[in-house]
Amino acid sequence: METYTYVNIFETKGLEYLLLLSFLVLFVLLVRYLRGDYRDKF
Amino acid sequence: MTGMVRFVLSEMKPRGKMWTPFNIISVPIMLLGVGILYVRFTEGLGAVTNLSQEFPWGFWIGFDVVTGVAFAGGAYIITFVVYVMRVDKYHAIVRATVLNGLLAYVFYAGALVLDLGRPWNIINPIIGNSFGYNSVLFLVAWHFLLYMLAEAVEFSPVFAEWLGMWRFRRIMNGLTLGAVIFGITLSTLHQSGLGALFLLAKAKIHPLWYSEFIPILFFASSIFAGLSMIIIEGTISDRVFNDREEQGAHDEIVFGLAKGAAISMFVYYFFKTLIFVHEHHWALITDGWGAWYLFEVLGLVLVPCAMFAHGVRHRRLGIIRIAAVLALLGIVANRLNISVIAFNWRAAVHYYPSWQEIVVTMMVISAEIWVFRWVVTRMPVFDTPGQRSAAT
Repeated sequence: METYTYVNIFETKGLEYLLLLSFLVLFVLLVRYLRGDYRDKF
Repeated sequence: MTGMVRFVLSEMKPRGKMWTPFNIISVPIMLLGVGILYVRFTEGLGAVTNLSQEFPWGFWIGFDVVTGVAFAGGAYIITFVVYVMRVDKYHAIVRATVLNGLLAYVFYAGALVLDLGRPWNIINPIIGNSFGYNSVLFLVAWHFLLYMLAEAVEFSPVFAEWLGMWRFRRIMNGLTLGAVIFGITLSTLHQSGLGALFLLAKAKIHPLWYSEFIPILFFASSIFAGLSMIIIEGTISDRVFNDREEQGAHDEIVFGLAKGAAISMFVYYFFKTLIFVHEHHWALITDGWGAWYLFEVLGLVLVPCAMFAHGVRHRRLGIIRIAAVLALLGIVANRLNISVIAFNWRAAVHYYPSWQEIVVTMMVISAEIWVFRWVVTRMPVFDTPGQRSAAT
């Protein structure tokens, strides 16, 4: 029977993947904000 | 020919007011600097600097060369945008930016001569005296030389217009695109190469500032350093030579530069954060070094990044200018941290620049501004493309 194993995101680089994904989302938002269409959409 | 010599000699005469605040401050600094350099070249580095075997690179390398070259990064970005991407909006500032870049390399990279124990050996990497073809310094030395030549080619049409050498101008104009592409290639490599110099010093640099990605960080930060420098330099030029530029067009250029600075700072901040997480540096931010690091990354990168974005979105020039100053301070802090402050951070006796080192640095900056002012008051640096075609 398999037991549940806790995955530490600090050791598995999970945090780095999360950081990368959040950066991509924030980057798109930043570009839209700079272009001036941020306020119209959100 | 004699007419041209007479013209050049007449251009050597001083113009404008002599007793300006800048002249009153800079002339004594430059005279004192010349005196200090006389002592440096007759008595040696030890007579005027606090350099030692433990700290062989001090303020002259950390500020003049490593920081100064980052500030000069605006030239390769603007020439790329104007000549390769064909964004004509920035054409009005391309000449001033190239001049600024050229002078920065001549003066700041030239300041290397002051810091070499045996300055006459500076020619060795160029003539290939079998000294380290594989070294980063070899690459940086050659790149500095070639980049100065590329920038001289880019600026030569202005020089030709000044002297009325229209045939020479046509020839040099034809070489501009090639020089720009060559210059951009060189810049990407030597901006990162300056960072690569510090890869050898892993054991000496505080781990918060050391990373195997220093070359990428140096290159990425040179983008917004250059853009911020253009904003500040453009603001000062605008005030001093405001009769030559169109205010509305200049504001639009500043907003465009600020947009580029915000995006590049955001990318740089992401790199810094990713490296911080990847290297598990959480435990290092609890002491004074950590506070200083956080101040640099948050206060002098993230905050100006947000200010640039806010300034662009709400069209606030004042906020953009403050952001540019903060961004430049961030570059100064980062480059000095890596090369001086956090270098040999465990040493019992740390290096501090002597007053002579600071005066000589101020002398180099003052001399560059004097030459910049001399050129822009005589050559068609701020003329618009329309004025140039009318002149021909």
